[in-house]
Amino acid sequence: MSNTNIPDLRTLLASRRGGSTRRGARGPPGPPGSSQSGRGAAADDAVRNTDQDAAGSRVSCVELGYLNDPYAKLFATQPSTRRLPLLNRGSYVRTSAIDLLIDRFMSTAPGEPKQIVSLGAGTDTRFFRLQDKYPPAELVYHEIDFPLNTAAKLAAIQRHPQLFTKLPDKAASLTTGATSYSSSSYNVHALDLRSMADSTVEAAPPLPNLNPAIPTLILSEMCLIYLQASTVSSILSKFLTTYIPAPTPVSLILYEPILPNDAFGKVMTSNLASRNIQLPTLSVYPELGDQRARLKQYGFVDGARAADTEWLWRKWVSEEEKERVAGLEMLDELEELELLLRHYCIAWGWRDGGQGVFSKAWGELHDSAEQS
Amino acid sequence: MSIGGSDLDKAIAQLRACRPIPENQVRELCYKARELLIEEGNVVGVDAPVTICGDIHGQFHDLMELFRVGGDVPDTNYLFMGDFVDRGFYSLESFLLLLCLKVRYPDRITLIRGNHESRQITTVYGFYDECVRKYGSANVWRYCCDVFDFLALGALVTGAATSLSPTEGPLAENAEAMPDIDADIEIETLNSAGEVMFRYARNSDSQTSESSQTLGSSPARPDPTPTRVGAAGTGASGSSNGTSRNEGGAVLCVHGGLSPLIDTIDKIRLLDRKQEVPHEGAMCDLLWSDPDDIDGWGLSPRGAGFLFGGDIVKRFNHNNDISLIARAHQLVMEGFKEMFDNTIVTVWSAPNYCYRCGNVAAILELGEDGSNAGFQRRSNGDRGGGGGGWVLGSNDGTSTRNSTDNLRLPEGPGRRYRVFEAAPQDSRGMPAKKPVADYFL
Ligand SMILES: C[S@@+](CC[C@H](N)C(=O)[O-])C[C@H]1O[C@@H](n2cnc3c(N)ncnc32)[C@H](O)[C@@H]1O
Repeated sequence: MSNTNIPDLRTLLASRRGGSTRRGARGPPGPPGSSQSGRGAAADDAVRNTDQDAAGSRVSCVELGYLNDPYAKLFATQPSTRRLPLLNRGSYVRTSAIDLLIDRFMSTAPGEPKQIVSLGAGTDTRFFRLQDKYPPAELVYHEIDFPLNTAAKLAAIQRHPQLFTKLPDKAASLTTGATSYSSSSYNVHALDLRSMADSTVEAAPPLPNLNPAIPTLILSEMCLIYLQASTVSSILSKFLTTYIPAPTPVSLILYEPILPNDAFGKVMTSNLASRNIQLPTLSVYPELGDQRARLKQYGFVDGARAADTEWLWRKWVSEEEKERVAGLEMLDELEELELLLRHYCIAWGWRDGGQGVFSKAWGELHDSAEQS
Repeated sequence: MSIGGSDLDKAIAQLRACRPIPENQVRELCYKARELLIEEGNVVGVDAPVTICGDIHGQFHDLMELFRVGGDVPDTNYLFMGDFVDRGFYSLESFLLLLCLKVRYPDRITLIRGNHESRQITTVYGFYDECVRKYGSANVWRYCCDVFDFLALGALVTGAATSLSPTEGPLAENAEAMPDIDADIEIETLNSAGEVMFRYARNSDSQTSESSQTLGSSPARPDPTPTRVGAAGTGASGSSNGTSRNEGGAVLCVHGGLSPLIDTIDKIRLLDRKQEVPHEGAMCDLLWSDPDDIDGWGLSPRGAGFLFGGDIVKRFNHNNDISLIARAHQLVMEGFKEMFDNTIVTVWSAPNYCYRCGNVAAILELGEDGSNAGFQRRSNGDRGGGGGGWVLGSNDGTSTRNSTDNLRLPEGPGRRYRVFEAAPQDSRGMPAKKPVADYFL
């Protein structure tokens, strides 16, 4: 986000900061727009800004032909910089593996309504891409992020007809500087996820339009990794018991780093720390086995799978597609690529009584433990 | 102005401080270097002792660490196997320093070409951008690329001792049981403090038990991670005097590896190298290929060069009287990795590659044979009689896999690996503005 944007956004937010943001914030209220002071606020800013990194990586992939995403550029605030081939390859695997899981979900039991909740959605374009692919009536989409990020996202939607025409009311209800938006298909919630974990608050923060009765896929693409493990447990428990109580089918997809304890992992942890980015759950769930176990612990008892992105590239990407992608750029750094890809994973788990939509969609899709 | 004599020393001093030299000096330097390199054959002859280094990739401060560990130029005789530029923040300073040293001490440093010494690759992997950023134009990049075209494709090291005299240094804390000091020492691994981490003797019991494993990534080998204490390591010269035996074959150094179009070293000599690295063909293969656990040749996932198996290496070494191929090109977490019964080694000299990978680096020292005098360079027939030739693979239970296991290969040189870590963070002066997207966020 460019510096010139920040001040006026904050001013706008100051008047708007309502009950839904920063509930149960730690410490005394800070200056307008940042309810926390000192190190915490700086760390939050660093985490919020990771989103523009993700956006830039997406744009680089799109421009080079790795990904087909006409919306990525519309959300990026920084001029696009070409990423190194190995980073493009990694972003490609990340996006296409998650897309594959979501596509299987969407195309199982067609015609039945479905719901997706994207935690720390940032500038993710998935809602808009899904609108182009599936009949709009079938999907209710929710995004949660910090107000500064949701405001920037909604502002971008308002600016671009390609985006606002995808909304049921063509964004008519969107006001300048809005941090939240709701409609029958697309919902943006300005919220610190940590407020959901606050046990002193009786009721969970409201998520307007969240339907407790339709199959729901929760997505954390590089989001929950920035929170404490206990906070993550509480958030997911809120979802599995309060927001989407049983027996509604519910699932979780995680994309995040693993293997913090080898040489590469140690350098990763310290490099990110020097950018004020902490990854608290990384050391708690260091390996794929830990990822599967945590999914079960959260309550995703009918399936709990995980694979690193190196494996996913080899097993989930068709030979034809591999050839196409390999032809996009000369990729010299093969050993490094393998190292990098082995340090990120996708984990997916579900609760649907063993016969619901997720079992049908994903039951046959094996992970690296079942099939190597 | 011309660069020579004291100007050259000034430029070296400036570059050692990691400050670029003015554009006109670069032009002059590159011109001089080209005049020098044009005289070199495609395969440069190098006499042991020599210290062989792998990829540097613009990690200037780690190059300084390499010189600290391996000794300075001209005290130590160096051979760099390419990939000086790209990826790191200081490709320019690193390459120009090496080039200055080459012009200043042409007999003490050999530079051969890596696949990154190419116009096309440097525009993707950073060297081009770095030149434009530091000089405001692409001129310096162009001068450097013109030098790249003249770099040799390989080097042939002759006169290397077949065994090391053991380093009289302290043992590293985690060193394993060492063979008898009187034994014929084939391999030694030292940390950056000059402490011995690992040593083994040719044909000894430890040899037998280790020979089927891959050195450099063998779990039986002690952890190569060095501790940072003590004085600088000594250079290759002097510290690794060999015994008087002289049965070893030569060591071929090349950035990538072999080519299906090249079955003799003479065929490398016949190539027309003074051009941009082509997309295919022998010259491309030499700079791009990788050894792999396959039989014969395979397609490379890099999109250039080939994969080649142990049978290819053994046959090539046998036919060319080579005892060892030293190559770089592939990141190795332990700094070096021997393969195919010690017939080929990968040497990697960029620690914590890209400031991200967490690997250690290594350099390979070959000592001088005591009786260097009568050594026949490029001899193809005589394989040094006297029953010395160690039959590679004979200890390997699965050795009937292919016929090359029965080839008698020249005895390998004694090899001293010095392993080192990245220069301390505070000495490297990371640019204030960190590069974007090191990781997936
Ligand atoms: C690296 S970005 C990923 C964005 C998007 N999911 C993607 O993959 O492109 C992380 C996002 O998580 C959001 N985030 C992190 N912690 C959060 C919290 N406590 N509450 C709400 N959002 C949070 C950040 O603001 C940021 O937008």
